[in-house]
Amino acid sequence: MSALVSAEFLKFRTTRAWIGFLLAAVALTAIAAAGTVGTARDDQLGTAQLSRDIVSTSLFTALIALMIGIMSVTAEWRHGTVTRTFLVTPRRERVLIAKELWVALLAAALAVLAIVLVLAIAVPWLAVEGSSLKLDGGVAGLVGRIVIASVLWGTLGVGVGAVVQSQTFALVGAVIWIIVVEALIIALLRLVDLDGVGEYLPGRALSSFDGTEEGGLTTWAAGAVSLAWVIALGLLGYVRMSRQDVT
Amino acid sequence: MIEVEGLTKRYGSTVAVDDLSFSVAPGTVTGFLGPNGAGKSTTLRAILGLVRPDTGTTTVLGKAYRNLERPISQVGALLETFDAHPGRSGRNHLRVLAAAARIPTPRVDELLALVELTDSARRRAKGYSLGMRQRLGLAAALLGDPEVLILDEPANGLDPQGIRWLRDLLRARARDGGTVLISSHVLAEVAQTVDEVVIIHRGKLIQHAAMAEVEAMAAGSTIVRSPDSDRLAVLLTQAGVDVDSRKDGRLTVAAPPERVGEIAAANGVVLHELTTERATLEEVFLQLTAPEESE
Repeated sequence: MSALVSAEFLKFRTTRAWIGFLLAAVALTAIAAAGTVGTARDDQLGTAQLSRDIVSTSLFTALIALMIGIMSVTAEWRHGTVTRTFLVTPRRERVLIAKELWVALLAAALAVLAIVLVLAIAVPWLAVEGSSLKLDGGVAGLVGRIVIASVLWGTLGVGVGAVVQSQTFALVGAVIWIIVVEALIIALLRLVDLDGVGEYLPGRALSSFDGTEEGGLTTWAAGAVSLAWVIALGLLGYVRMSRQDVT
Repeated sequence: MIEVEGLTKRYGSTVAVDDLSFSVAPGTVTGFLGPNGAGKSTTLRAILGLVRPDTGTTTVLGKAYRNLERPISQVGALLETFDAHPGRSGRNHLRVLAAAARIPTPRVDELLALVELTDSARRRAKGYSLGMRQRLGLAAALLGDPEVLILDEPANGLDPQGIRWLRDLLRARARDGGTVLISSHVLAEVAQTVDEVVIIHRGKLIQHAAMAEVEAMAAGSTIVRSPDSDRLAVLLTQAGVDVDSRKDGRLTVAAPPERVGEIAAANGVVLHELTTERATLEEVFLQLTAPEESE
């Protein structure tokens, strides 16, 4: 399995796409961090809430991780490389597991990079304003959750990619699902007084876990639900891939 | 050793491969022939575990492809679709495959030199010509130094030297006890390379024979012209040889010219012309695949 994971790493760094991902992750994080620090009111400086808001800007990497996860699978179909991939590794579940592992590693690394970047922007900036980050236990927990959330979003992407396979449909579909479809379902569920059910939708559960939304589930329940979605989509992707003809 | 047993594959209502069985023995190069759309690629993809048969089984070295322990070190494959990422260099493409199969990187450079791609190895594959893509595919097939080779239309895009090189390589593989299966839709293209031919048409097996037998089918007949052709016809018929009179007064004889000449000489018949009429391999091929055509 380590050979397959290192092959995935090699795939990632031998096309130019990674430069785009890295630039997008750095740019989005830097803009969000600078925006959050720069627009903070005086009465917010030094509060635990502001510290959490600043650290949370590193969550943009979760979006990048989702895209990388999706494309790690869909690119194989898009460019026909899946043929050779399956010739080298005919046990297709091994290919999928290697992708999940590789994207998990990369997503964690990206999250750490983003957190370091956010701190590198926020700490000196706040120092100039005579303030500092309030790094309490809450922030430390948030850092851990951001790393885990990035891993969950990334591996969810692998499952989405394996299920959908068309790169365009998977990328656009994932965004539409999170922004439009889930919101619609949640609104409909409210109409019939089933608010609680909506909390279990993947986007909602992940957002509750990483703290971008105030969800009805506890953090760890939301994390468990998110992990269940990652596993479910991965299995569904495997079912689709395992019986598929590659022509 | 490659074995295909009762393989059937349908796509919707189209039957791509229809109860096909054949085997390819070690130490031989076998040509897998049929017109375009005969089901060759589907069969090869089924052998390679890429396509799931509706019924039937395929094995390579006694196992289903997916159960091979070190697939690309046991079976090298080349398919018609280009399977390298256009944005990745040829060398990196092979490095990815080598990494996944735990093949050391020096082997990659060895292969690039073998297929004469060293100079373009670090360029992105999207700029490769058809011939370069084919050579990169062959390098990928040979990367694990496999004992079985399964190549779909391997001569595509190769120049005459490349085809010659490939022929020598495949012959050498078979001589060393390897098993080689190459597909083509042109019999003449593989005639000098293969020991055996498996001919399919509309997914069905038409012929599995030694190349020598197919060539014998092309041996054709002898044309003879003689001022005494009526007597010659009788003599030949008495000798048990089929004879047909042609409109131009010549005879078409189903025997080699040596035989015709000997019979004529023994009986003192004067001959004015003695030639052989050879069918081309393509004519034989068309003839073999023709009966189905009329359906």
